Amino acid sequence: MKDIVHLVGVYTKTTAKSWFQYRVDALLRSLAVFLRESTGIIVIYFTLQKFDTLNGWNIYELLFLYSLLFLTYGIMIVFFTGLRDFGRTVRSGGFDRFILRPRGLLFQLIFANADWFAAVGHGGLGVVLFLVSAGKVGIVWNVWKVLYYLFAVAGGVLIQGAVFLVLATLNIYLLETGSLKELLYFNMRKFAGYPISIFHKAVQFIMIYIMPFAFVNYFPAQYLLRKEDMAGYPQVFLYLTPVVGVGMYLAAYFFWRFSVKYYKSSGN
Amino acid sequence: MKLSPYFAYAKKCFLGRSAYRFDHLMNILSTCLQIFIFWGIYRALYGGNSEVDGITLPMVTTNFMLSMGLGAVFCTNDYFLPDKIHDGSISTELLRPISFPGRMVAENAGNALFNLIFRFAPALLAAVLTIGMSAPAGAAMFGMFLISALLGYGVLWAISFTVQMSAFWFVNVWSITTIKNVFINVLSGSMIPLWFMPGWMSGVLRFTPFSSIYFTPVQIYLGQLNNWEIAEKCAVQLVWIVLIYLVGDMLWRKGQRKLVVQGG
Repeated sequence: MKDIVHLVGVYTKTTAKSWFQYRVDALLRSLAVFLRESTGIIVIYFTLQKFDTLNGWNIYELLFLYSLLFLTYGIMIVFFTGLRDFGRTVRSGGFDRFILRPRGLLFQLIFANADWFAAVGHGGLGVVLFLVSAGKVGIVWNVWKVLYYLFAVAGGVLIQGAVFLVLATLNIYLLETGSLKELLYFNMRKFAGYPISIFHKAVQFIMIYIMPFAFVNYFPAQYLLRKEDMAGYPQVFLYLTPVVGVGMYLAAYFFWRFSVKYYKSSGN
Repeated sequence: MKLSPYFAYAKKCFLGRSAYRFDHLMNILSTCLQIFIFWGIYRALYGGNSEVDGITLPMVTTNFMLSMGLGAVFCTNDYFLPDKIHDGSISTELLRPISFPGRMVAENAGNALFNLIFRFAPALLAAVLTIGMSAPAGAAMFGMFLISALLGYGVLWAISFTVQMSAFWFVNVWSITTIKNVFINVLSGSMIPLWFMPGWMSGVLRFTPFSSIYFTPVQIYLGQLNNWEIAEKCAVQLVWIVLIYLVGDMLWRKGQRKLVVQGG
């Protein structure tokens, strides 16, 4: 155990060093990620200056909805960068090196690399949005709500981590899954910035049952805000985020364990 | 000036793009999704209202389809020059007896033609069939729209050209390029129709090239401008192309003088 903690420390230090080797560049990159991700928010801000509400949600409530999305992604990417870039690792044969080392594969993938620009860019934006909105959406914070919030964030991190883990595992079979990830994850995430109730039923179905972004931000936000459009969904969805997160992550983990046995190297 | 080598580059780029089919399908889907999302948002924003500030919902969706569609066509390769500087091949490029900026135009034009046929057309068709869009305000207006769209492409290309020149001074231009794209996305009207920009913002926008990219062609398409206004707006587009290109060209000349290629 002490050994593992030590190894995590070494890994974290080396990745942080390599990412922040060029300091000005690192800052500029984080700023660029921050701005790129703010695009949707700036757009919604300007739009709601003209139209006061979007299906009953005012600007602060929408920002609160957004903040959960970015916060969970920022935390998730610290751990799951290795899985996001796993396709490259497999194609270059670099995965063989991981296999030869005397530590768990997933352990190495999770701790050996972290995209700090994305983490600072996304996570920072999440924190800013939370600070701007949380005081203005009428949530009366108490111990239970804080606990709920923490569990919801953890669940959201696990849901997205599970998606990355499944997509990474598919690389073992398909070698190239970049486009699939673009389609399933990044494209669907564009919907998640808005209350899903405004979209077509088919989109809502996908967001709840197939790529469950609704449990990352919409339902947790609904628990705290109780907007009218929640009437269209079962009340139990408000409490399912941690369950969905743990369930999806376990399923993804077993899929990974099962698949690694069949790994054939593409390198030479 | 002989044009044939430039046509050859344009053709090569067009054919090169045909190789990646799946990638390509994803791009179409991505454009459709984007249109679909904004349509959903504006449907909810309009609620039951037939118009807001004299702008109807079909006008809004037409704005999104045209500007996002044109965006898919225009999509410039922002890393053309930076990549060449990065891997050192710029040194051989400079030895060729053709103009490098000219080559950049040619490659981008080949790309744009490919995108027009295989990205814009299918995405627009899918969007029109599911959502529907307004017809152009007459044949003459449609002709003017095409001209203005071409000028819009010129503005976008000139901006990309100028920003690419920063590669002479910075090792990593990804950040600058990304920030440039944020400005274009937010201010060009492809994500928020410029009719609905807050008043102070519209004032600021009048002094920037962003509304010349997509919004001017869209306004012409919808028949919102009279002939005099069209001439004026197209002239503005032309002025922006020349101004931005001149800045880029100056940087291009300066950059070549200080160019240092590492290895090669």
